[in-house]
Amino acid sequence: MFEHDDDTLNRMIDRLREPVEMDPRLDARVMTRVASPGFGARAAGAWEWLRRPRAVVISPITGLGLAAAIALLVWFLPIRAPARGESMASDVTPVQFVVVAPGAESVSLVGDFNDWDARLTPMRAVRDGRLWTVTIPLAAGRHRYAFLVNGARWLADPSAPRAQDDFGSPSSVVTVGG
Amino acid sequence: MSGDAEFVRRVRAGDQAAYAVLVARYRARLGRYAVHMLGDRDDAEEALQDAFVRAYRSIARCRDDAKFGAWLFGILVNRCRTAGRRASRRQRMFVRDDASLARAAAAEPPEAPDWDVSIRRALDRLAPALREAFLLKHVEELEYEAMAELTGAKVSALKMRVLRAREQLRALLSEVERV
Repeated sequence: MFEHDDDTLNRMIDRLREPVEMDPRLDARVMTRVASPGFGARAAGAWEWLRRPRAVVISPITGLGLAAAIALLVWFLPIRAPARGESMASDVTPVQFVVVAPGAESVSLVGDFNDWDARLTPMRAVRDGRLWTVTIPLAAGRHRYAFLVNGARWLADPSAPRAQDDFGSPSSVVTVGG
Repeated sequence: MSGDAEFVRRVRAGDQAAYAVLVARYRARLGRYAVHMLGDRDDAEEALQDAFVRAYRSIARCRDDAKFGAWLFGILVNRCRTAGRRASRRQRMFVRDDASLARAAAAEPPEAPDWDVSIRRALDRLAPALREAFLLKHVEELEYEAMAELTGAKVSALKMRVLRAREQLRALLSEVERV
């Protein structure tokens, strides 16, 4: 009885292991989407907004976090805080991200708001290169993000809630508005 | 897969054509998982396409170039979970429509199911977490440790899911054979 059932199950497994033909046109569809300029155009708009000169206000939360980071002699300690002072369109809020990364050659902010593309939101070094910062407009809602140091080291924000995502690397959550 | 690291490096350097090689390399294997997991070819192709695009845009997040295939598989597993939840909601909507259709067409006798249809129906009746564990273990032939890395579940939980999936499938397939 059980042997017979196992035979049936094994026959099913053998059938499932057989190759499944997928539409070869899928490759072309993927490459078309990959090469699509749409996302790049949106990113360029965001980049223009980012390049506009503005006063950067470090909030008390950021200052406290920075002090804690230095005191603990931690090499990489990300901090996130909302920026103040500048108003934008009513549906977006400028949010400042700050990370302490002394010695880093580059730091990027990546998240679901820029499709996790490390090229789109580079952070700017301040305070002798110890501190990296960027302010971006975020729509109200929940956003996942992380910092990418030197194009390779992936950092979640320890001061923010952790997020689970598709990619197996740690990321954080910031909630804007509400 | 052998040689992935070189293509991943080229993609990172901006060579889009190198990504086409990776897509062609993984299309069939990942497609098989998506088709069996979702039970619908269109949904599977959409999930697969989405996984490839997300992987491309996030390739900086692949921490080991030589393990690109496993990383990509993880993205697909998550895409299939999302697509499965969506399909489940859609099916619940269809059930109501099907009920009225069934009443209208009650006179038509059901067709005799063939082996592939029986397999599909049996897989569909498994809970998604059991189906996922069963396919990863027995069809994709992954070790439990690799499955744990892909799914985020503990090895002990995965072993239990595979065991329960096997038990349920045995029962479901034996029902079919008795028909």
